[in-house]
Order: sequence, then structure tokens, then C-alpha cells
Amino acid sequence: MEAAADGTGRPRPSTGRLSWGLPFGRARRRSGLSPSSRLLPTPRRPQVKARAAAGVAEDADSQRTAFLLRKQWSLYSVTPLYRFSEAHLRDYSRLLSAFIAAEKKKGLAVEIGGELDIKVAVTSLPDLKGSDRDQAAILVQLSSRSSASPKNSEEKLVWSGWFCCVAGDELSENLPEAFTCLPLFLVNGAESYTAIVGTWFQKTFDCCFRRLSLSPFNLSWMAAMWTGCKVEKPASATELVFSVPRLPHPLHISYAINLEDAQALWDTVQKTPGEITQEEVDVFMDCLYSHFYRHFKIHLSATKLVKVSTAVASAHCDGIIKFRQSQYLTGVLMLLTELAICQIQ
Amino acid sequence: MDETVAEYIRRTVLKIPRDEIKTMLQKWGFLSETQLQTINFHQMKDNISQDVVQCCEENSASIKQAAVLDIIYNHSYPNKRMWSVYQMNKTEEETDFFDLTDFRKKFKRHLRSALKNVTINFREYENNAIWIRIAWGTPYTKPNQYKTSYVVYHSQTPHAFISPSVLKSNLPLLCQALVVASNYQDIHEMELRSHSLNSLEDMVFKRYSQNFETYCPRPLQESTVAQESAAGLRIVQENINEKERIQRVNRDTFGDGPQPKLEFAEYKLETMFTSDPKLEVLDKKEPFRCMVKFHSPHLLESLKSLAPAGMADAPLSPLLTCIPHKARNYFKIREKKGFFPGSFVSP
Repeated sequence: MEAAADGTGRPRPSTGRLSWGLPFGRARRRSGLSPSSRLLPTPRRPQVKARAAAGVAEDADSQRTAFLLRKQWSLYSVTPLYRFSEAHLRDYSRLLSAFIAAEKKKGLAVEIGGELDIKVAVTSLPDLKGSDRDQAAILVQLSSRSSASPKNSEEKLVWSGWFCCVAGDELSENLPEAFTCLPLFLVNGAESYTAIVGTWFQKTFDCCFRRLSLSPFNLSWMAAMWTGCKVEKPASATELVFSVPRLPHPLHISYAINLEDAQALWDTVQKTPGEITQEEVDVFMDCLYSHFYRHFKIHLSATKLVKVSTAVASAHCDGIIKFRQSQYLTGVLMLLTELAICQIQ
Repeated sequence: MDETVAEYIRRTVLKIPRDEIKTMLQKWGFLSETQLQTINFHQMKDNISQDVVQCCEENSASIKQAAVLDIIYNHSYPNKRMWSVYQMNKTEEETDFFDLTDFRKKFKRHLRSALKNVTINFREYENNAIWIRIAWGTPYTKPNQYKTSYVVYHSQTPHAFISPSVLKSNLPLLCQALVVASNYQDIHEMELRSHSLNSLEDMVFKRYSQNFETYCPRPLQESTVAQESAAGLRIVQENINEKERIQRVNRDTFGDGPQPKLEFAEYKLETMFTSDPKLEVLDKKEPFRCMVKFHSPHLLESLKSLAPAGMADAPLSPLLTCIPHKARNYFKIREKKGFFPGSFVSP
């Protein structure tokens, strides 16, 4: 691992090419709210030698995480879980299953069809984490099967939720032993199931869920950061969506920039080696806003940035994310983990 | 009466808001006043439509009459469809006298020569607007009455508004038939699309209140603030002046009356990227390719309100203000070749 010197002459260990890029050298937060710089996202390359030796196919882990791609996930921040243990996942499946059945009996789960049996699976996703200091991601899946003819009917996945932590040192390093740090929760499925599963986790592990919304500030970071990621062609454009709700007739503006051209701009803006600074993000966005202003005489900075869509991922201000590239999955999760931790603290 | 016709009439009636059903049936004129008296128009729509079908049964309605009801419905609720604007041209200067019978004959003949299974109906409205309804079939199947195209041809103009069906492959044939029947030479699509047919007509026929095409800055007027005023009062007056200026400029650029109703505008930008040289950013000699789309329930009114809300300059860019008088909402913008990088040309 070569030492990568940054502009200040302070040598830092590099992130290393073949492992998950990790924040040994992450710049400390200068403001209370967000770092003024973040690491450049590096695409993940599987650890080829180790896997070949173990006889595991190179793509196996990307296959395991493939189901995460191209789905819409709603984001929550979760406070640390008290007395959670990865050794007891089977028990948790059983207990959650019983809880759901009880809720159904109470008639609270109205949307769940009467003839459907809900099966719960709680598993671990060992590859979804940043460093070994992170807790591996925990996946909760609800499948339904018609209770009328359990043998004949197929199992259908109706709801997925997963807890994860990528580079969550800031929160985890100060936690007492009994707590597990999994600050980010992603959900795909009906709201009614989310409420039930959330309630069970809150009761069982004394934690608290909160919707994670993404401010225009966060979204600007994502636009800049993800535009800079190298992806295979053909790649979708970088699209920014703005909303102006408080007019007599609301207005939406979609501003999509050809990815090659956006990258060409970003490459001339992003000058700090190995990291992205707030200033660089601001310059990038200002350039895009000025180009728009030059044509339309509208100040985009006065409108609300509500959605960012790139080849790497899409993010919506209501706290909704869609992953598009498995190689950058961890990089995106790292940013989201950071935002979740910010919300918790 | 054919079962398919009965079902079609039933479904068409179901689309109509309950309070409008009786009026529309009266416009249709296929059922007698006596028959209409027998129908209770205050019951559930399902039942109303059944009663209507029963009356139509008594009169042995055919698909032709059912089609007319559909035209009347679409004429009352044109905004349910998306309309594109087409313009026809010919080289001869003289305008032929328009003969509706001749037009209908030629139109039907052209379509039927290419496609046997097609239902064609015409209805003439005020302003010389001819509504044409076409239901498409294939050489082997009967026309699908639920997949229709509509054409509104203003016979005294070279313009037609077309709402194609989902079966887009029939569009060229439709355009050809129009050209042949109206004695033009060719037809092309204008870059203008909207759900609001009335607004499209307004724009194409310049029936909205027009704006001045160039913005002339008015000379600065002396402020009449009293001499002893503090800076605060002067600022307040400046704000008021600025607000008034914005209103005035808006009136100049957009005109006084209500704007035509459009839902979107799309711009394909292929202009150069320029920036402050101090920033040392992109200095490529190739276009910075972007696609910009504006969406709103009432786009032009929305754009008009941006400057007063402080989000845009007044006057707004001509790329936006030209929409009504250029009658288009799709644009491709390239850099004007010349000395001034700040100017654009839209082809």
C-alpha cells in the first residue's frame, strides 16, 4: 500500500486498490453537520486471489447482492440496537414471525390478506460492510404463501428490509459493548409491513427508527460524487430534478446532462487527489446552474433540488434510493451511513 | 343490435360524467325525447348506461351511430387525449374552394384502398373544424373501436390536429389520406404537443393576446422619494419599483390575457459550456449536451410567475417566451456561429 500524500504534506495510508476503500485517512469533520471532504468513491473489485483459492465464483457475492439493485429503497436511520446478536438470527425469525401472526389476529394488519401465511427470514449479508469493524448487514425478508394450500402455492417475496453499516466508526467506536451499530435501514415493500417489523425491532432492541430525508445539500454531493464514478458505456445521463411548488401553478424542471460531458466538467473541477471537497461540489453545481441560467434566465439555486439520477444510483429527497451499479454499492452505502449517523446524533 | 356495438355504447356512456349524460345524448339525437324521458338520470351510472343500451337496442343502433356518440364525447373532453399539430403545404398559390363531400370521399377512399377494415366517421363543428374519427383494424380483424385516432382539420387553414391511437404504425397512412383529400402536397409535424386542444388551436391561429416580440427597456424614471428619507425608505421604494418593473416586463413579454395551456416544454441543448476563466474549468470546444424539460399543469402561467417570485430574471429568456408565438414546445438549441457566444439559434 503506497502512502498517498495529500496537499498538506501529511502522509496517509492509501485506501488500497483491492480492498473496500476505507476511511483510515478520512478527513475529520470540520463543521458539525457534514464533512467538508469525502473520499473519492472507488469501484469495488472482488478480492480475486482469495476467492479463486476458496473455489468460490468471482461473481457469487455480486449475485447475492444483485437483488438490491434497481429496486426502490426507502431510507431510515436507526439508533443502536441493544443486546442484538448475530448468533440469534434464527430466533429472531421465529419471534418476528409470531409477532406478525399475532398482529394479524388482532386485525391490525389489514392489508395482509387473510389467507396468507407470512414467513420471516432474518439472515446476514457478510459482504455488505465497510471494514471488519463494521457489523455485517442484516436482511429481513417476508414471504407469503397461501395458507389455504401451503404445499401447492409458491412462496412470494412481499417485503424486504435490511440494516447496514458501512464505515460507521464515528458512531460505533464510542458504543458500549451491548450495543450494535447498524444505523442505516432500507425498506422495499408495503408500509403496513414496515410498521409491524419496525415496531418489533423497536420493542425488542430498544431502538428508534426515523425517516431519513435527503436535503438539496446532500443531493448535490451525490450528483457530483456519482457523476465522477467511471462506469461502462452506454451510461445514463446525470439528471437533476428541481421543484418549485409554491407558485400558483407548480413547476418541475428536469435538467439532464450527457454523462461524458458532465464527467469532462467534473474532471476539471475535482482537483484534490483522492478526495472530494465541499468547494469542488459547489463549483460543479454552480457551473451547471450558470449554464442553465445563461439559457433560461432562471436561478435554479432558488428552486428545490428534489431528485438526482445517475448511472451509479438515484436518490430522492423523501429518502428514497435506487442502486444501479453493484461495483459502487458500498460507496453509496458509506455516504448514506454517514447521513444516517448524522441524523441520529 | 350487435353485441359489440352494445358494449361499446355502454362503455362510452360510462365515461361521461353523470350530470352530462342527458345533454350529450340530446346532442347525439339518436334517441327520441320520449325515450330519454324513460331513463332515470339520477340512478347509478351503471344502470343509466344499461338503460341507454336498451333504448339503442330498440332503435337498432349500428357502429356508425355509436361512433358519432364517441366523437361528441371527445369533442366535449378533448383534454383526455394528447394532440400533435401538423401543417400541410402546397406550391400553388390559389386556394381551392373546400368541398366537404369531396374531402370525405377522397379521405375514405384513400384509407380503404390500403386497409379494408377501418371505421371512418366525420362531424363538422363551428369554425370550419372537421372532426374525423378512425378505428383501425387489420386485413384479418375487424376495427378495434377502442383504439381510435382523431383528426381535427380546420378546412380553411393548412393545419390539422391529430391524436393518434396507440397503433402508431397507422399514422403515415392517416397523414397521406389527409393530404390527398385536402388537395395539398405534403404534411409535416410541428414541434408542438399538448393535451389542451384549445390551447394548441389558440397558439397556431394566434388567438391569444400577443406579446411584443422584442423587449425594449424603458428609460429609467426619476424616483420621487422625499429628500429626507432614510436609506430604508429608499430601499423600500426601490423594491416597489423593481416589483412594478417586473410586472410591466411580464406584461410586455407574455401579453395581458390568459396564456395558452401547455403541460411541458422540452429543450435539447447542444451549446458550448462557458464559465469564468478564473475557475479554470471545462474549456472544451465541443457542445455541452443537455436535455431540459419543464413540466407544469399550466406551464406558461407558471413561467410567468417565476420572476415575480424572485426565481428568475425579467424578462425571461426568449427561449421560453417564444413558445406561444413560435407555436412549438420541442426545441433543439445550437450555438450561433459567430462572435457572440451568448446568442443562440433554434432551428
